[in-house]
Amino acid sequence: MIKFFEKAPYAPVEYAYDAEEILYKGKSKFQEIMVISNPYFGKMLILDDVVQLTERDEFFYHEMLTQVVLHAHPNPKKVVVIGGGDGGAVREVLKHKVVEKLYFVEIDEEVINTSKRFFPAVSSSIDDPRVEIKIMDGAEFILKRKPADIDVIIVDSTDIIGFARTLYTDEFFQTVHDRLTEDGMFVTHSESLHFHKDMVIEIQETLKRIFPIVDLYTAPIATYPGNWWTFACASKKYSLREVRRPHESGTKYYDEEVHLQSFFTKNLYKKLLNKELNW
Amino acid sequence: MLRTFKVEKFHAHLIPESTLFKVLRYVDRERIETPFLLIDGERIKEKIAMIGRSIRNPKVFYAVKANPDIEILRFINELGPGFEISSEGELEILSSLRVAPERIISSNPVKSLRFLRAAASYGIRYFSYDSSDEVEKLADLAPRAHVYVRLTVPNEGSEWPLSKKFGVELEEALELLLHAQDKGLNPVGITFHVGSQCTNVYNWNIALDKAKALWSKAERNGIRLTLLNIGGGYPINYTKNVVSIETIEKNVNSLIYDKFPEHVEVHIEPGRAVVGDAGILVTTVIGKAKRGDEDWLYLDVGVFNGLMESVGGIKYTYIVESQKHTRAKKRWTIAGPSCDSFDVIDKNVSLPQPEVGNLVLVLSSGAYTVSYASEFNGFSIPKTILI
Repeated sequence: MIKFFEKAPYAPVEYAYDAEEILYKGKSKFQEIMVISNPYFGKMLILDDVVQLTERDEFFYHEMLTQVVLHAHPNPKKVVVIGGGDGGAVREVLKHKVVEKLYFVEIDEEVINTSKRFFPAVSSSIDDPRVEIKIMDGAEFILKRKPADIDVIIVDSTDIIGFARTLYTDEFFQTVHDRLTEDGMFVTHSESLHFHKDMVIEIQETLKRIFPIVDLYTAPIATYPGNWWTFACASKKYSLREVRRPHESGTKYYDEEVHLQSFFTKNLYKKLLNKELNW
Repeated sequence: MLRTFKVEKFHAHLIPESTLFKVLRYVDRERIETPFLLIDGERIKEKIAMIGRSIRNPKVFYAVKANPDIEILRFINELGPGFEISSEGELEILSSLRVAPERIISSNPVKSLRFLRAAASYGIRYFSYDSSDEVEKLADLAPRAHVYVRLTVPNEGSEWPLSKKFGVELEEALELLLHAQDKGLNPVGITFHVGSQCTNVYNWNIALDKAKALWSKAERNGIRLTLLNIGGGYPINYTKNVVSIETIEKNVNSLIYDKFPEHVEVHIEPGRAVVGDAGILVTTVIGKAKRGDEDWLYLDVGVFNGLMESVGGIKYTYIVESQKHTRAKKRWTIAGPSCDSFDVIDKNVSLPQPEVGNLVLVLSSGAYTVSYASEFNGFSIPKTILI
């Protein structure tokens, strides 16, 4: 069987996956897109040689990226998902009946098309009437919104030092802050606590310059090097550690207890930002 | 504008992801004018916290010559270490930052009269020396100063040897300590320099053996020394991983522990180790040419305006801006912008092909780059920017 070797320069490990079949290989304007099938993980979506999702475990990432802030928010009516062209984050957001409008902003239409073709269970909700798809740069979309307009903004990007880095700048976070309603919330992934601790800290510090409440929670992701994956979240008013609305069903991993235990302990969080965690 | 760089696994050992992220964020700006040197303050903080950590009774003095940019000095000043200087120019910058004289030493064994006068009047009390002429100068211009004599030690295995220019052998060192005492100076210690970018741990063993021999001789002659200045020399990663500061210091500390009295104060003078790997020179490709079977790449930084150490054998690592899907690499001869044929930085460097106007990041270039640079041929010296 042929093998796919992942190329992530900042991971000190290199993952190799058996590839039963290369189902798709193409180049978009932005990246190389590949779909392979693996005997354990099922179909896998790969962008620029980095695994984005697998059929088997995608729900860990997609649920944890979205459900924590959505349950911490008292009334999320208008939501923006930036990136996540596979549709996984969109599917999770729409599990909340209270959501009336979802702007789905993806820069690379080819990722959406590929997901619709190969990952129907992930992309299932993209055509929901509440969804408005925008094929454009997420930072630009946010910039063009009017102030205090959106309840929750979710960023589901690729590698931070790649072309997604415009979604991690001070300017972007500031615009996000300004476009959020007064009880608005924001979440983005921020890499692994094992391998990218410096980036985790950098993103926390950048957010802290802009939002009054910034926090960090983690989820176990088998296929992202470093596995102990972090999510940086920020809020204008409410603590993110609290579940404010009853848990809506339909999740495999996330629930109220997971919500509470997923946050980095306060003691470790303090040590992390003081650079006292040396591993 | 969003630029695409070819980042590879071997780069990751040389530049932390968060530093690269900050650099990329900076160069994404609409209008940038190369060349400039970006310095990540976080890395300096980490290095300052690390240096001296494994040594008993340490005092760290940043060697200002490595990068004397005022913003860098201001930043380091806040972090607490002292400074090692050699000239009135360096003193002037520290004086403008109101650095207390107790936090400044000078380990240049041959100081200009003008500098000595300025240093003494500022209140600096610690000076190195290695000649009787220097004793006379010190006795005259900085009476009763604390002085430490410089020994020669082997510099094998350091990329930038220093011992030939300075230092004396044991017998002469003893005489100089006695001479200083006779002249009313206060001979307090010994210094040596294993050579800059020293990757050979054993240089410190030989140096400390020699220092111990002098220490005992001095004691037998009635001079009780208290200070061991171990100079600089801690290496940084340019192309490959070198021995860590912690390993060097643990070795040095156990040697000091075995050979010297408990109260000995240890002065360390890191320069390269503080700012070197915190710095990334941002340069632009100004031309490409094929000469015979050699591919030449011309940058707006060369030997004269920043990369002088390449002449001494320092090899840098480059990250190149390139088209999204280019994978093929070529072997390049990399040259600077000036008309001088001496202005060649490196040969046989495997890089993906950039276009004219693309950026090239030079890693680990925070030390001994802009401080060495001249405006030869009218090419500007890169500005230092703290990020």
